Amino acid sequence: MLPIPAVVALIVGIAIVAFLFFGAGALAGQTVGRLVLLAGLLALPLLLSVGNISYGLHESSSTRFCLSCHEMQRHGKSLFADNKQALAAAHYQNRLVDRESVCYSCHKDYAMFGDVTAKLNGLRHVWAHYIAGVPKKIELYKPYPNSNCLHCHDDARRFVDGVAHRPILPALYAGTTSCLSCHRIAHDMTKVDADDLWQAHQR
Amino acid sequence: MTTESMTKKIRRAAVLAGLGLGVQLVAALHWTPAMFIVSAVLGPPLVLAGGVQFLAAVWRNIRDKGAV
Repeated sequence: MLPIPAVVALIVGIAIVAFLFFGAGALAGQTVGRLVLLAGLLALPLLLSVGNISYGLHESSSTRFCLSCHEMQRHGKSLFADNKQALAAAHYQNRLVDRESVCYSCHKDYAMFGDVTAKLNGLRHVWAHYIAGVPKKIELYKPYPNSNCLHCHDDARRFVDGVAHRPILPALYAGTTSCLSCHRIAHDMTKVDADDLWQAHQR
Repeated sequence: MTTESMTKKIRRAAVLAGLGLGVQLVAALHWTPAMFIVSAVLGPPLVLAGGVQFLAAVWRNIRDKGAV
């Protein structure tokens, strides 16, 4: 469910539209009444729709949204894999990315249309989930681009000064050597299947 | 256009806008990826159709009265 304020706003909007439906006869004859109708039947529903869709788009970038399809739940579990070398686990467990949008942070492109492409891909996922069927092996649409890693690590000292990174920095920036050629494990599914998971101590 | 006919059109606009908001409310209450898509595809176009219907009714009424 969306947050209560969003739901309440929609309920109030529907109530106002219903009120105007029954009051249309009286209101349509006066100038002020028409302005009320204009506000209640056009401006308010449009504002509510824009707000609702904007919130929905924002929410569709959240981790819980991605993991709400059961096909992705193993990937979600891999965030807790007890493997410090696994990229997803290391980024999630060390809070290198916002936990609320961990899938989106790493899997959307940061180019001009990165957001749009990610949302369109999301549509394809829903299509696959309900209509076309989910492929046996879930794979990326294209090789993982270094630019996604460099979006954050670009000039980070730990990255630039890293002994293993220094000799190949130009190749990494150019994308001719993939970050994943060394950091091979993105999601550690072996640990997931073995249920070898890490959990922060509860305070 | 008579006031009665205009009222009828405005009510039709209210039904469309109400349906648009209703679809979005159902999606908001049962929030899943599919419901979000359904709500985004149906909700705003219905609301927009209601708005257009309302504006068209008012415009026709004003034009019939010779105000424009």
